[in-house]
Amino acid sequence: MYDNILEFPSVKKWFESANHDSDTQDEQKRLLDMIANFCESLDQTPDELIESCLRTTKDGDTAISAKGRKNVQQAIDDWVTSQGLSGHQAIVTANTLRSFLIHNGVFIQGPASIQ
Amino acid sequence: MEFNRVVGTRRSIRFFKSWKPVEREKIQVMLEAANRASRSMNADYPRALVVNRDDLDKKTLDALRNPTTTADLDLAPTYIFWYFDMNYPQGTPERLKELVEKHVLTPSHGWSKAYVDDFLWPQILKPLSQIPEAVNFMGGTETGIAICNALNAAVDQGLGTCLHAFTAPAVIKELFNVPDSWYPVWIQLVGYPAEEPEAGGQRPRKPLSELFFEGNCDTPWKEDPKVTEYLKKEGMIQEPGPFPYRAQEVRMLSRMFGLPE
Repeated sequence: MYDNILEFPSVKKWFESANHDSDTQDEQKRLLDMIANFCESLDQTPDELIESCLRTTKDGDTAISAKGRKNVQQAIDDWVTSQGLSGHQAIVTANTLRSFLIHNGVFIQGPASIQ
Repeated sequence: MEFNRVVGTRRSIRFFKSWKPVEREKIQVMLEAANRASRSMNADYPRALVVNRDDLDKKTLDALRNPTTTADLDLAPTYIFWYFDMNYPQGTPERLKELVEKHVLTPSHGWSKAYVDDFLWPQILKPLSQIPEAVNFMGGTETGIAICNALNAAVDQGLGTCLHAFTAPAVIKELFNVPDSWYPVWIQLVGYPAEEPEAGGQRPRKPLSELFFEGNCDTPWKEDPKVTEYLKKEGMIQEPGPFPYRAQEVRMLSRMFGLPE
């Protein structure tokens, strides 16, 4: 587990962009623990997780990797299942992880809770 | 709703009342509006496949989902898959001659059956119909006009609607037996807005003077302030976004649906 996961630029960016900086300390800890646990399950740092969703084009530009994003989408679903979550809570948790990707520029959608 | 207000109220609605189905008759109005749109050569460009989310089994719905199109499909109760039929040039001479017979295309403007048969079709339109870029340009443009009518018809009936990129066309083709000649254009999401119909206010637009010109392209269109005021009164020009409560509205809707914040 990380001493201060907020030191990772991707996590810092997420917190600033999504205004989690103004959340309560408990809520911030919950979010940081969640992203830390998810990344640990993948044996990746948060920054590496973002990089896994990106690729470099022939022209040297950075683009979203459809394959990488698909893999992370599956990894999110698998991790949420491994946490014993289902229904609304599973959707909310998975979408919280997606929020980390989204605020780092990775366009991704998960299901909505409509039941 | 009056026309000016329909145009002014149209927004891309992305939060729908997922639980409230769209009445079939309202979809028919939208399709008829599309069918009545302006179209060159009186050709049948657009094709639409209407699918109700709740009529799909889980396997089909899951097949439609991908990392860029999942929440959209969950929230909207109705999808309209818009295509154009690449075979639209077929029958063009007959359709144009029908318009000559019905005094739509008239000698006053140079039209005759002989012109259609001897010149227009063999020398211009038929060769054009064999150039893929021209077929795609016309098909996309003319279908877009039809879709615009459908969008406005949805707003006029109190619905929310949004055009979505046509992702996974191959999957949709296979699932719904889409003909080979149909070329994907847009997915139209339809439902009742869960957000305010104003969706946070009117979207930013440049002034007419930056986009349109009069007489020559060095002379920007000069707005008449009286007309601008009239359009504000009529609802075509509305309060720009974001409304003060918009961020909170999006936050609350996201939480209700369990979506990322």
